[in-house]
Amino acid sequence: MAPVYDWLLFLHVLASFLLVTTTVVYSAVVLGAPAPARAISAANVLWAIGGLGTLLLGIALAIDVDAYEVWDGWIVGAILLWAAATELGRRAQVGVDANADGTARWHWLRAIAVLGILVLMVWKPGA
Amino acid sequence: MSLLAAVRPGEQNLPLFLHVLGAMVLVGSLVLAIASLGGAARAGGAPVTRLAFRALLVGALPAWVVMRGAAEWIASKEGYSGDRTPSWLDVGYIVAEPIALFLLIALLLCGLSLRRLDRDGGGGGLLRAAAVLTALMLAASLVAIFAMTTKPS
Repeated sequence: MAPVYDWLLFLHVLASFLLVTTTVVYSAVVLGAPAPARAISAANVLWAIGGLGTLLLGIALAIDVDAYEVWDGWIVGAILLWAAATELGRRAQVGVDANADGTARWHWLRAIAVLGILVLMVWKPGA
Repeated sequence: MSLLAAVRPGEQNLPLFLHVLGAMVLVGSLVLAIASLGGAARAGGAPVTRLAFRALLVGALPAWVVMRGAAEWIASKEGYSGDRTPSWLDVGYIVAEPIALFLLIALLLCGLSLRRLDRDGGGGGLLRAAAVLTALMLAASLVAIFAMTTKPS
């Protein structure tokens, strides 16, 4: 495969690691761990970078690889889950900042959405 | 992770999913640990040190087991064994095994630091050593992710 494909895939996968890193940090927070404020801030930055990276590089991969199209069901499903995870993550972030009730619910729903994206990326139903 | 962008035989999907998930949680736990170790080394405090210890013990260690076990599962399904392993897979082995060793040492250092913190408020050096080991594990993980995705021959 061309180096462009390799780099796209590497950076796409790396971006997805950032999403899960944020999920791990927030899991500790909602479970009551005394996470340093810097860790939470860093997790939010990683989510922003990882979110943009997975989406843009994922679309670039779908365009680059002949076997896939951006409108394939599993890719559309992943994009929808990505959008849901982004909104859920925003609510979780607001909740953590305000120390509000319901933060854990938004966080765990985001974690499920992230897990769903990974399931779609591995199984690729319909591909 | 190695075949993430490809359509592959269905029987490989579950081990691949577990392998990638384990690797992701491992990296996430290491990042949480290093952030906590950094905070603990700067400001001290048993709660943050305990968080780093738990991130390694409850997060990183089980995640490494899942990642490594699933990797072996995939390798056996692919028929890789003995000398019949591609170089990118060798990189994975070379990286994964030291991570386990460093993880255990970092856990020991964190545990000892917690004991010293409770006893006389010390243990800062142990924390810094654990942070360095955790940073090395993160760097090694980056190498592994690159090798698994690009598969250099």
